[in-house]
Amino acid sequence: MVIADPIYYIVLPLLTAFLLPLFGKLYKPLIGIIPGFVFLFLAYMSVILMIDIRPDNPIITKIAGWTPPFGINLVFSSFSGFIASLISIMGFLIWAYSYKFKKVGFDDSLKYFILLLLVVTGSIGIVLTGDIFNLFVFLEITGISAYALTALYRGRDGAEAAFKFLLIGAFASSMILLAIILLYTQVGTLNMAEISVRMHEVDLKIKVLIFILFFVGFGIEAEMFPLNGWVPDAYSQAPGPIAAVFAGMVAKAGIYALVRIIYLMFDLEGAFHLLLIMGVITMIIAEVVALRQEALRRMLAYSSIGQMGLIMIAFSFNTEQGVFAAIFLMFNHAIIKSLLFLTTSFLVYNTKTKLISDLDGFGKKMPLVSLLFGLGAFAIVGLPPFSGFWSKLYVLIAAANQHMEVIIALILSVSVVEIIYYFKVISRLYFRKASEEIPIQKPSLNSSIVMIVLGLIIISVGVYPDLITGLIENATTSLLNKDLYIEKILPGLAEIIN
Amino acid sequence: MQDFLTYGIYGTAIFLMLLGVYAVLVKRNLIKIVIGLSILDSGLHLLFVAIGFISGGTAPIFSPMAIESANKMVDPVPQALVLTAIVIGFGVTAVALALVIRLYRHHNTINIDEIKNLKW
Repeated sequence: MVIADPIYYIVLPLLTAFLLPLFGKLYKPLIGIIPGFVFLFLAYMSVILMIDIRPDNPIITKIAGWTPPFGINLVFSSFSGFIASLISIMGFLIWAYSYKFKKVGFDDSLKYFILLLLVVTGSIGIVLTGDIFNLFVFLEITGISAYALTALYRGRDGAEAAFKFLLIGAFASSMILLAIILLYTQVGTLNMAEISVRMHEVDLKIKVLIFILFFVGFGIEAEMFPLNGWVPDAYSQAPGPIAAVFAGMVAKAGIYALVRIIYLMFDLEGAFHLLLIMGVITMIIAEVVALRQEALRRMLAYSSIGQMGLIMIAFSFNTEQGVFAAIFLMFNHAIIKSLLFLTTSFLVYNTKTKLISDLDGFGKKMPLVSLLFGLGAFAIVGLPPFSGFWSKLYVLIAAANQHMEVIIALILSVSVVEIIYYFKVISRLYFRKASEEIPIQKPSLNSSIVMIVLGLIIISVGVYPDLITGLIENATTSLLNKDLYIEKILPGLAEIIN
Repeated sequence: MQDFLTYGIYGTAIFLMLLGVYAVLVKRNLIKIVIGLSILDSGLHLLFVAIGFISGGTAPIFSPMAIESANKMVDPVPQALVLTAIVIGFGVTAVALALVIRLYRHHNTINIDEIKNLKW
């Protein structure tokens, strides 16, 4: 039995990130190998913890022995654990994809791995923490390392994208800090469970003000319209695998924080309507704009925003089916979008202009990468027998049970738009003649293996959705049962206050 | 006098926040935008410290003398949090300035209107 405790999710990558320059001094290849071991351990620990976890026995870690609400606690419940496991497994896969940079020197790959470790620390921290100010700190860790990762390559317009990202991100974090300050004056605590218990004491106007500040702040990280101006630039200028990090981790942590705030802390009925409206607007605008994109990675970035909108819609139903569908979508979006970004990284690398029109005939030039891109595209638009089909089906079922026919119609028509722009790329890959013979950079063995693994996950979840539906059902129960969450963290507090 | 001090602190905090937002939204110079972010942060920090302050209060340390005046203790939590927030603000400012240097080397200008390879 290995030591398995949620605290290692934060301690281990954070410590490694700071020690990595020292390891690099000892022996240069260590900077690539050691993060791999860290991510492997986190992924392994996730599996061990997820086997035992049930909705009624979340693991609660008290940091430094201070009991909540005085100290900070980490909560590894079925829901937060599922997302944390998803992030750590994605972290391992992205490390495996990128552990050998061909063209990048020692300094750049050192920075890359340090920042990758930090972004994983921050994202998992956002998911696991039970303290609202701690959440803000982890948000900033994620944010600062994400800005730096966007600007990693000097040659591109990375600095411009990163500055734009930083401006929006710093503005968001100011809003969240202001919301935390106002919340503290009202409830006098920072523990999320205690805030939830005391929330009914807060005056409605102030509650709405605080909620709006939180909503806007986390909406930026969750790629919500109109706060997502950073997304297409950051996704297209950052190094290839980092786009997968943004889609698979940063956006997931943002939507997680948003959902935590709405479901656990605020008992506002209007919050779900607001989430629904914003989700619909985000989805429609993003998918329509994606149709007009000429650069492949910008198109994928807009498609990613659209998917986040769909996740918001599914969460806004506030029913068991809706939450189930939303968590399934989060899983699928992380896996499929990562596969698309990782394959796109190779496709775009071999074109001069990074435009979709340059991709003619790549199906013959790069058979494996093109095939996997096609698989990802089929999965994300929701064709059976891939995993994307099930999540979209569950969203539609949840909407149907809420009698929201308009939403169903919108989701289906947006899917048609998705099919159009993804199939535009696929038709260029397979049904056009290659214009000229340019030397092709073949994918390295490790990245091919990672892409194939992601493809296999998509197919196997598509054929046997039962592989993960059990976990998602537990996560749903855990999110919706907020009394249990409060009771586990602060036993007996709810009775004392009410 | 007491009220004047309280309103003065809250007023200054809100004024600083608005000033920061104004600088970020209106100024076209990248350095001034970063300064604006920093001022916005300062306003938030001042607001946070002011909330925990009790005029005539004592330091929140338990000692025999302090036990009688426990209800006059200043709330220590906002102070601890502001320290953290200052460090975070410092980190963000440092990254922002590093990016400004990178942008200046790349474009030879720090006017935001002249830097638009990407769609702003």
